[in-house]
Amino acid sequence: MEKDGSILDDYVLSLTGARRPRICFLPTASGDADHYVVRFYRRFSTHCEASHLSLFRRDQGGQGVEDDLAAHLLSQDLIYVGGGNVVSMLGVWRAHGLDDVLRRAWRKGVVLCGPSAGSLCWFEEALSAFHGPPRRVRGLGLLPYSNCVHYDAEPARRAEYHGLVGDGMRSGFAADDGVALHFKGTRLERVVSSRADGSAYRVEQVGQEVVETSLEVCHLRSQALTMDRTVAFA
Amino acid sequence: MEPTNPLLDDYLLTLTRSQQPRILFLPTASGDTNTQINAFYARFGGRACQPTHLSLFRLGDLERSLEQTVLEQDIVYVGGGSMRNLLAIWRAHELDRMLTSAWQGGVLLAGLSAGAMCWFEGGITCSSGAPEPIAGLGLLAGSLTVHADGEPERLPVWLAGVRDGRLPGGWAADDGVGLLFRGQQLERTVSSRPGAGAQRVDALAGELVRHRLEPELLGAGEQRGPALDDDVQELRRVHRLRREMIGETHRFSDP
Repeated sequence: MEKDGSILDDYVLSLTGARRPRICFLPTASGDADHYVVRFYRRFSTHCEASHLSLFRRDQGGQGVEDDLAAHLLSQDLIYVGGGNVVSMLGVWRAHGLDDVLRRAWRKGVVLCGPSAGSLCWFEEALSAFHGPPRRVRGLGLLPYSNCVHYDAEPARRAEYHGLVGDGMRSGFAADDGVALHFKGTRLERVVSSRADGSAYRVEQVGQEVVETSLEVCHLRSQALTMDRTVAFA
Repeated sequence: MEPTNPLLDDYLLTLTRSQQPRILFLPTASGDTNTQINAFYARFGGRACQPTHLSLFRLGDLERSLEQTVLEQDIVYVGGGSMRNLLAIWRAHELDRMLTSAWQGGVLLAGLSAGAMCWFEGGITCSSGAPEPIAGLGLLAGSLTVHADGEPERLPVWLAGVRDGRLPGGWAADDGVGLLFRGQQLERTVSSRPGAGAQRVDALAGELVRHRLEPELLGAGEQRGPALDDDVQELRRVHRLRREMIGETHRFSDP
């Protein structure tokens, strides 16, 4: 849900192959912030079966999804994870057993996507820095790599990520704002961008050195594409 | 923080030696809602204390380390909400360990609802919908259930838990009741509302033994010193506005 345009959202929706995709929003990383939930429905409710799941207000009913969270999530075409604090989000997910449900959804073929924390969470390891000092975080581990987002947003980010990879963090992928990494299974299928100048990189340790390789980026216009699986965007 | 009744909050401020206690609000259990944060500043901003809050969803606002921030307080005040989420997020950020150190170092730990039960070995949460037993941090021996009068569906679940041993014996408190512990010892039971009560319940050979506690009703006599000067209050308001504006720009991710 970028503010300017919905081109990455359209791309992700196209991956489901559904005419009217069932999409569920997880705003956990924001503390289930109301305005984020409203933004989600504004963006998706006209052309999708949109729902959201609040893990902070499960006792109050009437708003998001209640009762059988697993059945609801497993019946989606797309699960959209909002941005925010990835450490808090993963803690809450684990407490509600959602880590396991999301793993099952992924194996079942549900497309998983999200910006920022909603990207970091799918990887084995991630650099979380947007909301505090840089920190190495263990994600759900669906994708056996590390991830760094907002790569161009702060000058220190590149050095921090290289430092961690050099320090033994898994090799992985870094993405500028507006750039999405599309994985099919655990293989990077494609890198797409809503910006003309966005970049993404493979960052890996080779011998004693950390090597960064620029990846080919497809700059999206309004075209329909069909593919599947995890899309992580910065 | 009872919306229209400041008696418990005023009482809290009398419990430290400081004339201007540093009081840190943790709105974690609510998902750090602005509603709860604003209510905290509305209540404590004009009182003789130094109120701040800590959002674990917006750590970018933090100037010092989490540990320093927690340890330098006189009072840590925990808001209500989802106890399951509260404990999970604290553990993810290692705040459980820091709060234990703070407590051992003499910081007064306080809270309401989930923020009260979290200090005990167990409580009753509605974090997943229906009320159910949940383990707490275990700083205080025994269990606690809250809203005994306000949310009556919790009490029978708690009593059943104590009877069958899933929860240790402990206390049930009506809305407006405060239990003050020194170390492990219940030192005082107070109330902001006439008629509000509490009870101690234990299981003995499969039977529940219940003792009613009679809280002392808090009154004007519990309030500390004179209110703040107007200019001090004005300065606080400016600081608060500034903090809110900074908070706006540091909002969690706008992707």
